[in-house]
Amino acid sequence: MQALTVWLRRLRVMTSKELLQFSRDFVLVLFTVYAFTMDVYLAGSGVSLSLNNAATVVYDGDRSQASRELVSRFREPYFKEVGQLSTPEASTSLLDSGAAMVALDIPEHFEKDLLRGEQTSVQMQIDTTNTVLGLLASSYGAQIVGQYGLDVALQRLSVAGGSLSSAPSIVDDHRVWFNPNSSDAWFMSISEMLTVITLFSLMLPAAAMVREKERGTIEQLLVSPLSPLQVMLPKIMSMTLVIVALTALCLLLVVRGIFAVPFEGSLLLFFAITTLYVFTTAGLGLAIATFARNMAQAGMLIILFIAPMIFLSGAFTPPEAMPPFIRQLMLLSPLHYFIDATYGIMLKGAGVNMLAPQLLGMSVLGALNFGLGLWRFRRQFE
Amino acid sequence: MNRRRILAVVSKEWREIIRDRLFLALAFVVPSMLMLLFGYGLSLDVEDIPFAVVDYDNSAQSRDYAYRFIDSRYFDFKGYSRDEDLLARQLSTNKLRAYIVIPEHFERDLLAGRPAAVQTMLDGTFPSRTATSKGYVIAINAAYSAELIGSYLSARAGVSPTQAQAMLQPVKLDVRYLYNQSLLSVWSIAPKLIMVILMIAPPFLTALGIVKEKERGSIYNIYASTVSRGEFLTGKVLPYVGISMVNAVILWLLAVFLFGAPFKGDFFFFLFATLIYVSCTTGIGLLVSTMVSTQVAAMVLTAIVTVVPAALYSGVLIPIPSLAGEAQVLAHLLPAMYYANIVTGSFLKGVGFAQLWQDVAILALYAGVLFTAGFFLFRKRPKA
Repeated sequence: MQALTVWLRRLRVMTSKELLQFSRDFVLVLFTVYAFTMDVYLAGSGVSLSLNNAATVVYDGDRSQASRELVSRFREPYFKEVGQLSTPEASTSLLDSGAAMVALDIPEHFEKDLLRGEQTSVQMQIDTTNTVLGLLASSYGAQIVGQYGLDVALQRLSVAGGSLSSAPSIVDDHRVWFNPNSSDAWFMSISEMLTVITLFSLMLPAAAMVREKERGTIEQLLVSPLSPLQVMLPKIMSMTLVIVALTALCLLLVVRGIFAVPFEGSLLLFFAITTLYVFTTAGLGLAIATFARNMAQAGMLIILFIAPMIFLSGAFTPPEAMPPFIRQLMLLSPLHYFIDATYGIMLKGAGVNMLAPQLLGMSVLGALNFGLGLWRFRRQFE
Repeated sequence: MNRRRILAVVSKEWREIIRDRLFLALAFVVPSMLMLLFGYGLSLDVEDIPFAVVDYDNSAQSRDYAYRFIDSRYFDFKGYSRDEDLLARQLSTNKLRAYIVIPEHFERDLLAGRPAAVQTMLDGTFPSRTATSKGYVIAINAAYSAELIGSYLSARAGVSPTQAQAMLQPVKLDVRYLYNQSLLSVWSIAPKLIMVILMIAPPFLTALGIVKEKERGSIYNIYASTVSRGEFLTGKVLPYVGISMVNAVILWLLAVFLFGAPFKGDFFFFLFATLIYVSCTTGIGLLVSTMVSTQVAAMVLTAIVTVVPAALYSGVLIPIPSLAGEAQVLAHLLPAMYYANIVTGSFLKGVGFAQLWQDVAILALYAGVLFTAGFFLFRKRPKA
């Protein structure tokens, strides 16, 4: 009984030591708070992953009512006309310099051909240096032109009274679930919050460990009556406390407060999973730290882990499109599970039973990381 | 500025770097590793969307319609089901991203010349992916509709189905993809990865390298020496610029030979512009190092000012014109955007100094401002 009390007291003392050390680094505290608030705000307010206002230049060789009607359909939110050209060749330099993304070229006799019932073609040049946007632009363009053509044809032929509603066709009725308005702010603010949590969970505990090694204060800890676990655990616990508290702030102030992201699931479950995630990731950080002798090494090692985690775990890039071995590699990234869990709880209202695989994945990784870290730590100093 | 003193600082720094074997190895391994992982993994293509079909009609026509999706390379068919609750749950657990509901009397309505409504349920968690999937659904539906109306019209007006189709689509859209004709993702991504990686790695090397001296206290040797501020900072930064330039060349080789990205521009212009860009990013590291006194803070600060912006505000995942308000301002304040023009220009568009001089000039100015700020913020007399 008494042994336990002493054990817990040591843990508490060490945890408060870590917290004190963190709080005394003013610049660090300042930027930590900045990351959890302003940074998430910036991402949520300013980033959109959809095609918006693609700069479009138009060469209208016909200047007829029909051509103007078609051009006017290339409008916001997808396209935005930024200029009329006097020659079709003028588009090249605008596309080269990036001033325009799409160039539309309507031939002479466009209206005449349409009235005569002859097929005519409109050229659309798309800057595809960004493949996804290029494809989106071409798909929206095809929709606009297709619809325009159908409208003209049905009117001319006066088939079925000139309207689609009484012709055999597919009426497209799509519903978007979980984020019905496709709000990028919801997606971006959550994703950015997860990114920031990951950055700090990996860096802070690892840094706290390497710092002791580099400064030599680890010697003092080793001659104290603390076991390796008692040295390691408080580092993780203190930083978990800081990160979870700041996550709460971020969620309340920015994600819910400013962007009004709905919270369908259980708040308690979210914080439980966040704590588990921070613990798991911190374990990875500590395991990395045992391989580094100084902070410069630790920093480079951390980058090696953190950049792929953030870019490839599935928030910014679709996992379905990745080659199998990268997908399997990402099963080792705790963020992979945390992304599914967070979106599941927040937007889809998922409960514990739906998130069992994610919980299991994170727990196993956490145990492995922590075990590896502890084992390496023991071996280095005993 | 005394050349000998600068060289002395350079050789001291260089020796420190090469004696830290692990660090030296990481300085070269990390950028290349990131290039390999991102090059193979960072695909923005929306393909193989897992989906299911609920077919309440179960007719020849409905199966024919469903086949349009099953056959498409954009969709990955997971099976037929009638249990919509189960499918809804699978949408929640990410086993599916979409499912299609074909109503009863689908065949009957279409044969009778009436429209039939087909529902598509899409997972909206990731908006850009949803937009792309929605685009595919609309395109498949439109093509199917056109065929239906075409054959309807040909039966009514007595023309051949192909003629009827042509009548229905009087305007053809002739799309030309510029700069990346085959729409290979890796082509467009590999050059930009050079930008991302050179945005992340050099500042870390520099910031940690300089703050290390502060934290260990070895900076007092510098304070007490005859080396001036400018000489110290130049000497300190040069080895990292050197390492980063070697990395830039390695990354270029990987992009061109491993990922097969076409390089149409002038290599020496590219190298020159890269040198300026690398000076900018090492300058960021330098500036960070003057603001903090511990390596922890240096690491965290560098991560916030480089990793996050590299992902969001550099144009690699999200194109700059899609940014709004403050994010747009932020993007213009970072060097990555200008260098992105240079890499895509040099790789895909084959344009050179004549078109890109503005970007180069901005980067040069940027580097100048960073080093000047670093120079004035770095003090040889520590505050008491």
